[in-house]
Amino acid sequence: MAISDSGSLVPIGIDVGSTTTKAVLVDGRTVKSSCVIMSSDTAEQSARQAIEETLSSTGIPSDLLYAVATGAGGKSIPFVRQSKSIAGCLARGSNLLLPSVRMLIDMGAESLTVVKLNSQGKLTDWGTHDKCASGTGIFLEQMARLMQMPIEDMAMLSFRANSRADVSSTCAVFAESEVISHIHRVPPTPKEEIVAGIYLAMVHRILTLCKRLGIEPDIAVTGGVALNTGLVSILEEEAGIKTLQPANPQIVAALGAAVFAAESIAKEGRL
Amino acid sequence: MTSSLQNTNRIDALVRATRLMYRMSKARPEPRQSELLYYQMLIRYYERLLKARENGDFVAAHTVFFPSEVLYAMDIAPMHLETTSWMTALFLGEYADLLAAGAELGLASEICSPHRGLAGAFSIGALPKPDVVLWSNMVCDNTAKSGELLMKITGCPGHFLDHPFQDSSEEIAYFTDELKEMVAFLEDHSGRKMDWDRLSLVVGNMDKQLEILRSIHELRKAIPSPFHPQGFLELLTVDYLFAGHPEATEYLETLRQELEEAIAQGKGAVAKERYRLMTLFLPPMYLIGFLEKMSQEFGAVSVAEPFFCQWGDGKLDPKRPLESVALKSYMIPEMNMYAPMGDRAITKIRTAAQEFRIDGAIYYADVGCRHTCATIKLFKDILDDMDIPVLTLDCDVVDPTITSQEEIRGKLEGFFELLDDR
Amino acid sequence: MKQDLIGRFREVNQTFPRTREIIDFKNNGGMVFGWFCTYVPEEIIHAAGGLPIRIVGHSTETELEDGTAYFYVNNCSFSRSCLQLGLRHEYDFLDGIVGGSTCDGARRLFDLWRIYIQTPFHCIMTVPRKYTDRAHDLYNSQVKHFKDLLEEFVDLPITDEALLKSIALFNESRELLRSLYDLRRLDSPPISGAEIMEILNASFRMPKELFNQHLQELLHELQQSDGGRPKPLRIMLVGSVLTNPQFVKSIEDLGAIVVCDELCTSTRYWSDLVVLGNGLPPLQALSRRYLNNFPCARMYPSTERFDRIVALAKAFGVHGVISETIRYCVPYAHDLPLLADHLKQEGLPMLTLDVEHGTPGSGQIQTRVQAFFEMLEARTL
Repeated sequence: MAISDSGSLVPIGIDVGSTTTKAVLVDGRTVKSSCVIMSSDTAEQSARQAIEETLSSTGIPSDLLYAVATGAGGKSIPFVRQSKSIAGCLARGSNLLLPSVRMLIDMGAESLTVVKLNSQGKLTDWGTHDKCASGTGIFLEQMARLMQMPIEDMAMLSFRANSRADVSSTCAVFAESEVISHIHRVPPTPKEEIVAGIYLAMVHRILTLCKRLGIEPDIAVTGGVALNTGLVSILEEEAGIKTLQPANPQIVAALGAAVFAAESIAKEGRL
Repeated sequence: MTSSLQNTNRIDALVRATRLMYRMSKARPEPRQSELLYYQMLIRYYERLLKARENGDFVAAHTVFFPSEVLYAMDIAPMHLETTSWMTALFLGEYADLLAAGAELGLASEICSPHRGLAGAFSIGALPKPDVVLWSNMVCDNTAKSGELLMKITGCPGHFLDHPFQDSSEEIAYFTDELKEMVAFLEDHSGRKMDWDRLSLVVGNMDKQLEILRSIHELRKAIPSPFHPQGFLELLTVDYLFAGHPEATEYLETLRQELEEAIAQGKGAVAKERYRLMTLFLPPMYLIGFLEKMSQEFGAVSVAEPFFCQWGDGKLDPKRPLESVALKSYMIPEMNMYAPMGDRAITKIRTAAQEFRIDGAIYYADVGCRHTCATIKLFKDILDDMDIPVLTLDCDVVDPTITSQEEIRGKLEGFFELLDDR
Repeated sequence: MKQDLIGRFREVNQTFPRTREIIDFKNNGGMVFGWFCTYVPEEIIHAAGGLPIRIVGHSTETELEDGTAYFYVNNCSFSRSCLQLGLRHEYDFLDGIVGGSTCDGARRLFDLWRIYIQTPFHCIMTVPRKYTDRAHDLYNSQVKHFKDLLEEFVDLPITDEALLKSIALFNESRELLRSLYDLRRLDSPPISGAEIMEILNASFRMPKELFNQHLQELLHELQQSDGGRPKPLRIMLVGSVLTNPQFVKSIEDLGAIVVCDELCTSTRYWSDLVVLGNGLPPLQALSRRYLNNFPCARMYPSTERFDRIVALAKAFGVHGVISETIRYCVPYAHDLPLLADHLKQEGLPMLTLDVEHGTPGSGQIQTRVQAFFEMLEARTL
């Protein structure tokens, strides 16, 4: 996995998501530089910007890069050497950061992905929820709009809840109408209880997917939504488990792509 | 509730589409003889339906797994409802208007899309009015419940065939009596008599076909697999539409010979076989061409479909034709999905995975098919124990709005990556 | 007083499946058998000395993580809810499970239960979908097979004498429920639909001996009470499984009273008696009753069910029918276009609701029911 075998090529991973693009440059098994930027109009543009920003402090010329891309826009970037699935990248990335992890829950803006992996960081199974928004970042944003408060405030508020309001876990549309009726009830359901109820509904969606694959500790939580401490705390409580979180939960897939890049460099170097 | 009989556009379009498919297959550098026979059969099937009225044919619309042997013996023109529904999606790519028509009838999304589309098709006159509607509970609640509504929409008389859940001798005898009653019903309405000698002949043919089907199944164990990646769908259709038909015997014999030759030459159906797959349940029909291409691109071949191609044991006896038809209904691979999900089914998956040297399995989770989706976790657990990865693909057999081609492609690529990484 | 008597049933429901009566029965060395569908003759279990109880899910709408993980999301929330409770060990006290091949959800629930929960005794019967003599013969042989298996399991013969006793007890229960329903025919019934549901829910969750006793006392009380001012609208509920009294209450709170139903957990469960006589062996009388009972939407022809719905609606003088279909329930959903036509011809308006099992009746549902009631009121004026 070291880059020295291959001479001069430098592995970089890029994860082009629907709202943010992430890039990670690795040196051996350590992250040398990384960035998270807002995605632009095209995946190619997003990838170029992310690379530029990641390279800016390193002095590495871009023609030495061996780039592997992943994410929703990962396949439409002309200059990368390979594109890899998000699930495989999440597995590789989390294995490097948290080697004990066998199951990873990635909550992105538009998708919920649960990944299972072995001790070598190889993907063994995965599942996604893409037919329904509940369980994703967009759902949280929608709820924050209904609640008329920033997402960050919701998390803090949820810790104060003594009980959790009933919010449907079956469907985002039902959930929305239930939240509205909680808000307009006389007297209204306390805000913290509604928020806790929203989180609980999301947690049920997440755990259903986990159980379909078979829960296996250690479990890590990644993706933008993982920054939401209120949600993660309810997840842990409901599942009766502790979860691990990498320092920067947003870059795991990009890191995994970089690991794939390093592996390919090593392989090609040997040939 | 029905529109005029002239509006038989879907059948007409199917005839044209199958003719086109035939010409395209024939124009290939090395046309596959069995495929040509297959399309010829399809053309004749739909031509007969198209000309049924002018030829004074008696048309029986029937649900999937309905024993068409009986219809052939009585010289009744069968119209296989679900297959016609799938063909419409597969060849014509037109399904939205049929689903919309189904919704207008008050059919909720609870009902699977082929059945919503079917009811819709009859209500807007996209399918011709049959003379009778025949249906059974083979293989689910959708088929069991479909007939009465179709009777009402088409204004046709109908008959329901009750297929017992388990296969004790009492149940097989009950089903034989059910068949007897159906024959009486058909004789009443068609004015034709059952030709028992002909039924014996058809049953004899069917027995022969079972033997070939079983040997084709065995041949697919060869590495590389000689059978084209999505070929099992052809086998399914042949039994759905032409069970016991002499043409089907010819098709199957030709196919078997082709497979034997390919094996002898060490020739695989895809250029470079990399993944041997088990297919569980039905892929989206409108994506068959795309899946075929992907299979070639990635060297992924479906080699085993325990619930589509693995026929049950037993011999049919032309001297006891009706009992044989009843017995056959319990040998149909899909009927194992209907029967109790016992140790027999579980062993079947395990053995198939071993004998066919499976690298991975794809479970098409058709959103409209409840009883098959309820075994996803179970089958996954069985295959997990054998260290065989399973990809669950959410989709719909005919409704393209459920999952896009890109989504399916993304997931399949991810799965092939997973297999590569092992 | 009436509330205290209903409270007894409510207590059974609130503690189910760990109801005191069930636990006591078990602790006294009795065997408890769970059944999945109204096509399972409970009397056979009772005659074998066992306690039959119905396997049901949560009465309220809850998360179904485990149920969904095993069943996938597109099977009905009732079967997922049942499996969920089983997987969470709520039914670990069961000695056996008995099912019928009634619908896709029910037969898969049986499969998954057998494989993942592993209750010691299990039997699933083929239930024909017709009422022909041949169908009755087949069903009778299935019932007999179940009896034989059970005899072997409990290691005791199930005698005709015991069967007759059990039939008498269960028939008594049915007669009592009939008397209870008769009170609902009155212009102002002394008991609401939501309260009735508490009683019905308890009817399949506790020993019949005790249930009958409680119900007798309640009937005695009700026969002397006055229903107060008549409600303007009389409603019938049709559909599959419905066990949340809160749902009924949310409808009644909008200015109506639910007076009768065609629900799997209510009328379809108790309505027909086992008819003995003419030298009919008790086992055969049982199997006849269970196949001929108020039909589920799975049966053919469905007009049999529709006609009985209309007869009930007329006998109870209802103004409108509310149909509840649990999402992904194919047999009931498939019948809706035909049922709607059938009721329309009889001048009976119907509102169809698509719900998740256990729903208490959300804001959206109430809005639709309210509009329906306004329409009915305009008609009756």
